[in-house]
Amino acid sequence: MSSTEAQHGDEIVRVENVVKDFRSGFGLRKKRVLHGISFSVRQGEIFGFVGPNGAGKTTTLKILMGLIRSSGGSASILGHDVRETAFRKHIGFLPENPSFYDFLTGREILTFYAKLSGVSGSQRAERVATLLKWVGLTQAADSRLRTYSKGMLQRVGIAQALVHEPSVVFLDEPMSGLDPIGRVEIRDLILRLRAEGKTVFMNTHILPDVEMVCDRVAIIVQGCIRYQGDTQELLVEGERETELVAAGLSAHSVVDLEERFAARLRGLGDRIELRFAEKNTDEMIRAVLDSGGRVVSVAPQRASLESLFLSAVENAEAPESGSALTGMGEVE
Amino acid sequence: MIAARRILAIAMNTWREAVRNKLLYTLLFFALLLIAVSVFVATLSYVERERILQDIGIAAIRLFGVAIAVFVGVGLIHREVDRRTVYTILSKPLSRTEFLIGKYVGLVFTVWMQMGVMIVAFAGVSLAMDAPLGAVHAAAFALTGVELALMVAVATLFSAFTTPMLASYFSVGVWVVGHLTRNLRDLGAASDSGAVAAITAAIHRVLPDLEAFNLSTEAAHGLAVTASDVLLPVAYGAGYAVILLVIATLIFERRDFR
Ligand SMILES: Nc1ncnc2c1ncn2[C@@H]1O[C@H](COP(=O)(O)OP(=O)(O)OP(=O)(O)O)[C@@H](O)[C@H]1O
Ligand SMILES: [Mg+2]
Repeated sequence: MSSTEAQHGDEIVRVENVVKDFRSGFGLRKKRVLHGISFSVRQGEIFGFVGPNGAGKTTTLKILMGLIRSSGGSASILGHDVRETAFRKHIGFLPENPSFYDFLTGREILTFYAKLSGVSGSQRAERVATLLKWVGLTQAADSRLRTYSKGMLQRVGIAQALVHEPSVVFLDEPMSGLDPIGRVEIRDLILRLRAEGKTVFMNTHILPDVEMVCDRVAIIVQGCIRYQGDTQELLVEGERETELVAAGLSAHSVVDLEERFAARLRGLGDRIELRFAEKNTDEMIRAVLDSGGRVVSVAPQRASLESLFLSAVENAEAPESGSALTGMGEVE
Repeated sequence: MIAARRILAIAMNTWREAVRNKLLYTLLFFALLLIAVSVFVATLSYVERERILQDIGIAAIRLFGVAIAVFVGVGLIHREVDRRTVYTILSKPLSRTEFLIGKYVGLVFTVWMQMGVMIVAFAGVSLAMDAPLGAVHAAAFALTGVELALMVAVATLFSAFTTPMLASYFSVGVWVVGHLTRNLRDLGAASDSGAVAAITAAIHRVLPDLEAFNLSTEAAHGLAVTASDVLLPVAYGAGYAVILLVIATLIFERRDFR
């Protein structure tokens, strides 16, 4: 297939048929959250694990981190079963909404994690100072974490995931809680990790971030992997769309157009933005003019991850029609 | 060796956290208050002033020592899970067993430090009242220290799988019954029913026999104790604590943190 595949080396993370049941009511009731998922992450790539709320992203990551045990299947990182502990000195983990001992300062907590990860005493102070600088916490380094804001805690979380120079990094919603500047900084940090040859696995539902940084993605919906493959291929092979901005349309005709072309709408003051399949462009222009509207602009759109994501979710709700997406660009 | 360093890192942090616990200072305050009050109570008496003084003092240390061990102990592991601090800690190259042992060691250290403060107060009032202080007191406190370490293991075991509330009920229950099992066994042995005798003997064997650590009568009366009076209970307490920690570890290793 694509040349990017050949360049990537070993499988760093391997998940095979992993099933997870959560038990409740004294273990009598069972809820299946992961339905036998399989995917792999390769050396040196940024892998995006994408899915709607409640899809099972965090659950999968917790299984990889050994925090919960899978009910079936196997998962390994760097060739080690995830239940082992010693290999964890090579991995870093940022949990969702991280929380720390809040009676310690930023510097103390990072030193603590460095100690646990086996960073030698002579390198510890320097490594901690470097990380504090990377995540922009040098100023706050000696205040208690209790006084930190949400975004600052997120930064501490990222710093502790990297303090021992791991070769694989797992991030659960790395951008959450960060301001726009923070997002750019963290995105650059993630790209820098790749440049250093590290492998990054990230859970997210912020699709523009995925498009921008991820080499490969897996889309998980309701505990099933719906797509797995190269981000660029996914976007190229996906259905192309057109964005048309129109003015002077009556509310009635807008609804009519929306239905006829399965268009997505966005109001822009007195104008209206319509997004629809590229093949319908001519017909749509004609329809807008026929309804007495004006065409302000027409622009071709690359298929966005968003539209693929939405159709993956829709297909999951109507499983019969799921083949169109899963057949497309599938790598494994 | 490396495991020891990680356990130590967890233990030191546990201690730092525990000494920020307000409950700890409240309990310590009342213990010291009771020791101070023992002076007053003793002066009211014409006879056996020193014995009354030391009876109350030793009781205060044992009672509040257990209260600190249980009420600070039950929350420590639960809080780590509840506040999700375990997520990052256990993603490091640290086994759950090392984590649990680190918490235990840190807590025992905390409890012993508090006990040290109470013993200093006890020694202070004893000296002030001209009450004797000797090897038997040291032996009594050493065994109390072992009892507290055992109670921390009890609290740790319960807190490995249940809420602080339930864990404290269970732990206090174990402590109360643990001090009665000897009497219970003797009562059972004296009964006509063989079944009752067997059951009470079984309870005595399974639950910790905490009276084994009680040298307070000997201490308050200045009676002599032999080396085996101390060493046997130490071995018993250590062995019992290890068994409890092994069970706690087995439970903790299987838990889902969700
Ligand atoms: N402790 C739990 N007990 C029972 N069910 C749970 C538990 N934790 C999660 N679930 C269920 O498992 C499913 C997956 O949850 P998970 O947290 O993995 O989703 P997610 O993809 O990370 O979502 P989000 O984007 O909101 O973080 C959800 O349906 C959730 O209700
Ligand atoms: Mg999640």
